[in-house]
Amino acid sequence: MKRFFEPSRRTWLHRANPAVKLALFVLLFVVTMLTHRIDASFYLACVFLLLLFAASGYPIWKTALLASGFALAFASASLTMILFGKGSEIWWSFGPVAISKESFYRGLHLGFRSIAFGCQGLLFVLTTSSTGLFYALMQRLKLSPKYAYSFMASLRLMPMALEELRIRRDALAVRGSGSGSRAGALLRLPERYALPLLAQSIRRAQRTAAAMEVKRFDAGSRRTYYYSSPVTRSDAAALLLLAGATAAALLLAQALPVFNLGDMRMVP
Amino acid sequence: MSTQVSGAASRRRGLTLTDVLVTVVVSLVLGVVYHLWASVSSVAGLLFVQSDELVYGMWFAASTLAFLLIRKPGVALVAEIAAAHLEIAFGSAYGIQLLLYSVVQGLAAELVFAAFRYRKANAFVAGLAGIAAAAASLLADIYYGYVTEYATWLLVYKYSLRAIGSFVIAGYLMYGLAKLLEKAGVTQSLRPVDRKEYDALDG
Repeated sequence: MKRFFEPSRRTWLHRANPAVKLALFVLLFVVTMLTHRIDASFYLACVFLLLLFAASGYPIWKTALLASGFALAFASASLTMILFGKGSEIWWSFGPVAISKESFYRGLHLGFRSIAFGCQGLLFVLTTSSTGLFYALMQRLKLSPKYAYSFMASLRLMPMALEELRIRRDALAVRGSGSGSRAGALLRLPERYALPLLAQSIRRAQRTAAAMEVKRFDAGSRRTYYYSSPVTRSDAAALLLLAGATAAALLLAQALPVFNLGDMRMVP
Repeated sequence: MSTQVSGAASRRRGLTLTDVLVTVVVSLVLGVVYHLWASVSSVAGLLFVQSDELVYGMWFAASTLAFLLIRKPGVALVAEIAAAHLEIAFGSAYGIQLLLYSVVQGLAAELVFAAFRYRKANAFVAGLAGIAAAAASLLADIYYGYVTEYATWLLVYKYSLRAIGSFVIAGYLMYGLAKLLEKAGVTQSLRPVDRKEYDALDG
C-alpha cells in the first residue's frame, strides 16, 4: 500500500506548499461547482484528466488504474438524473422512469463534472503527503498543533485498529459465532465489531494523548517545527498551472462547443 | 485550594489534545466499521431503489457518537472532518469534496447540540443532530448534484429515507453504542468534570 502510493518523479505540484495547494484546489472545486454549462464541464473533465496523467508524477498504468474508478463515478452521478430528472421533451418513459432531453444532458453534465472533481481530487491526493499537509497548515494557516498532531497520530494508530479487526474476526470464527440468519448477523455487526474496537482504540488514544501532552505536543504559538514549510516559487508555478488549465478549458468551451447547450438547470 | 480548582476546571473547558485524539480515533474506527458494513450491505442494498440512502446516516454517526462520549463543544465538527480526512489519507479521489461536505454537516450537528447548550446527550437529541446533518447534506447536494432537478417524488423519497436512516443510526444506534461503552468503563475519564465533583473533593 505504502509502496504503491510513491510517485516515480516529482513535479511542480509536489514541490508546492500543501496549504497553498489545498486552498487552490478548494477554489478549483468551487469554480467547477459553479460550472453549469455542459461544454465547460466536458472540457474541464478532459483538461484535468490530461493534467492528472501529466502532473501526478505516477507511471501511466498506475494513474490509469486509479482513474478507472471514474467510470463508476460517472455512471452513479449521471444515471439517477438521466432516469428520474425533470424535463419537458420526453424521449422515453416507463412507469416512474422518464428520460427527457433535458434530464439526459443534465445527467451527462453531472457525470463530466464528477470526473473533473475526481481528477482534481486525485491530483491533490497524489501530490500531497498527509504529514506535509499538517505541517503546512500549522505554519501557514495557524492550525492549532493539538489538532494537527492528533490527526497525524491517528493515522499511526490506524494499523493497530485494523490488526485488532482481523484478530476479532478470527476469534469470532474460531468460536463459531456469526452463524444464524444473514440479516441477524448484519444487524449485530456494529455490536460485535464496533464495541471492542472502539473500547480498545479509545483507551489507546487516551494513553497516547497523555504521553503527547506531557511532551508538549499541544504547546501553542512559540514552538519549532521538525519540517519547515515555506511558500516558494513552485507555488506560483502551481497557481499558474491550475489557473491556466481552468482558463484553457473554459476558453475551449467558448470557442469549440461540442454540445452547444445553455444552462443545465431548469431554474438557474 | 479553591483557586487552583477553578483554574483546573476552566482549563479543561476547551478541547484538550486528549479530547481531539479520542474524537479522531472514534471517527476512524467508525470509518473502518462503515467500510466493512458497506461492503456487506451493498449486497442487501439492491433491495429497492435508493435503499443505500438508509445507511447514509453512518456518515454522521461519528459526530454524534463522539459528542455522546466526550460532551464538549466542537467535538461533533472535529469528528466529521476526521471522517473525511480518513478518505483523503487513503487516497480517495473525492477527498476534497468530502472535506467540504463534512464541514457543512459537522456544523449542522454542532448547531443542534449547541441549541441544547451541550447539556442534553440522549438518543433523541443525537437523532436530531443526525437529521440536521442530513439536511445540511441536502443543501450541499443541491449545488453539487442538482438534486432539486429530480422528479419531486424522488427528491422527497430519497431525502426522507436519508433523514430516517440518520435519525436511527446517528441517534439510537450510536446512543446504544455509547451506553455499551459506558458499561465497559471507557467513558468515565473522557467527560468534563462537573463543578459538583470538585466540591465533593473539597468537602
